Amino acid sequence: MALVDNPASEALDGTARVIPMRGSAAVRGWEHLRTWPTSLRVGVALFLTIAVLLVLTPWIAPYDPAAQDLENRLAAGSPAHLLGTDHLGRDVLSRLLWGGRYSVSIAAVTLVLCSVFGTVLGLLCARIGGAFDELVMRLTDVALAFPEMVIAMFLVAILGPSYGTLILALVLTGWTPFARLARGLALEINSRDFVEAAEALGMSRRFIVFRHLLPNALSPLLAHAALRFGHKLIAVGALSYLGLGVQPPDSDWGSMLADGQPYMTRLAGLVVYPGLAIFITALAVTLIGQGINTRRNRQG
Amino acid sequence: MLYLLRRVVVLLTTLLLVSFLVFMLPYLTPGDPARKILRARTGDLDLDPETVERLRIEYGLDLPIMQQYWNWLKDALGGDIGISYTSGRPVAGMLGSALANTATLAISALLFALVVALILGTIAAVKRGKPADSVITTITQGFVAIPEYWMGPLLVLVFALNMGVLPSAGWKGPLWMILPCLTLALRPMSYFTQVTRASMVDVLESPHITAARSRGLSFGETMLKHGVRNALLPVVTLFSVWLAGLLGGSVVVEVIFAIPGMGRMLYQAITNGDVPIIQASVVCVVGLTVIITTATDALYRLINPTVRTSHGTR
Repeated sequence: MALVDNPASEALDGTARVIPMRGSAAVRGWEHLRTWPTSLRVGVALFLTIAVLLVLTPWIAPYDPAAQDLENRLAAGSPAHLLGTDHLGRDVLSRLLWGGRYSVSIAAVTLVLCSVFGTVLGLLCARIGGAFDELVMRLTDVALAFPEMVIAMFLVAILGPSYGTLILALVLTGWTPFARLARGLALEINSRDFVEAAEALGMSRRFIVFRHLLPNALSPLLAHAALRFGHKLIAVGALSYLGLGVQPPDSDWGSMLADGQPYMTRLAGLVVYPGLAIFITALAVTLIGQGINTRRNRQG
Repeated sequence: MLYLLRRVVVLLTTLLLVSFLVFMLPYLTPGDPARKILRARTGDLDLDPETVERLRIEYGLDLPIMQQYWNWLKDALGGDIGISYTSGRPVAGMLGSALANTATLAISALLFALVVALILGTIAAVKRGKPADSVITTITQGFVAIPEYWMGPLLVLVFALNMGVLPSAGWKGPLWMILPCLTLALRPMSYFTQVTRASMVDVLESPHITAARSRGLSFGETMLKHGVRNALLPVVTLFSVWLAGLLGGSVVVEVIFAIPGMGRMLYQAITNGDVPIIQASVVCVVGLTVIITTATDALYRLINPTVRTSHGTR
């Protein structure tokens, strides 16, 4: 069974799926869940697992991630250290969990800022139009031309490496797709018949925005956000890998990978595990994004 | 025409904005800007205060900032960007070879990605809904989530350190290009494959394919003459977008494999605080990116008249 639903096969099984509205809330919830595409289900399950692990880290991490044990450095996996120890004898599993909190939370904060800022600007563009629209759209052209890594490095050169710099750099280059998408969606939805009908019925602007615009724009925006999350996670890791992101004594998956690389011939896990963590997390959110899109296409 | 004009205005604004920011770099970073600028102009490391005063006037550092910017811009456009702090050589000369290396790396990685993607994408489209399609779609979508700084070291570990069949780092010949190209090609390849598959599916459903088949053309012939050619356009657009992106985006791969390209040069300049190199490489990368994207856009409009609308699609 492929993780990713094939859009082609969906057309065959029809678009109308009636959800029977009976039984308890749990049963209805389960019925609803069954209409989710496989990719969405797998993605959500994976991501929830990761999120729970990272939230519970202070309680479940077996060791202090900074505790060194030089007698026991570069040890292979054992019952005491499940994933082994790094070049300073620190427990790899504990460091993975703590590092994940930095990686995922920085990527999430960046993404939220990008999507809120971009969406609001995009909606304003569609609403106000005219010179404002033109100005913002040209600004997206400019921002789109900035190579993300280069701008991030340039900002680090000016401001020095810090969480603020990291987030600023990624937001500066990352808000544009959201602005364009939101603007396009708003224009498209505004031209639909039901909005015209609502307007003809004399509904207030606010009613139209909250009843028609937002619900219809939400799922494509969410899908886009999920698809961008993996990208952000990888970009945060890249900057940390280069030593320009998360700074010691803190470390995230990217800096763990960089730390482990000189020792990878002795213990491949030092490189394999942090990369695998980024990969699985990025994959989970990508599956969620694709799942939402598939579901939306199905519903027509 | 109006659209093109607008794009050119955007291009020039971007370049002006970036060049001004970059010009301001010595003023924005901690330390005495005059000393930093004089070091970049003269290559002198230790200047006594008197010399600094004399040179400050000689190089016009006492002028208003916009006047200084104008002079700097004139020099830069004339090819004089300053002298590198670390190597003591003129920056302009260092840019050329770095740019050539990055372009070689990016273009070969993208060409490799394109060839693989066209094959995989076509197979997936032809076998739509069959296991082959699911496998290709799933794998390529998974590839998008693989970071270069993971794939790179893993490839080095397997092929260079354990098997010893390929060099682990350096930039001396075709053999040295294999691992970095593979690393860099992975993500564009999966995007290219997805786009090829999607446009191939569209093409295969179009009447002219049915017509060609019913005229008695073999399946392979139809695909070559009518399929691939029509499916190619979106992929080619994506190719140049990625090319622009990789000029600045190959930093990580260049650092992993010690390739003397733009990205690594900028990275080292930032860790060493080498102001003139940072200035030159940022302007260069951003400039090239904007030029390539604008040119692609213009070309795309030229080839495909259906997108030549002034509003709606932008």
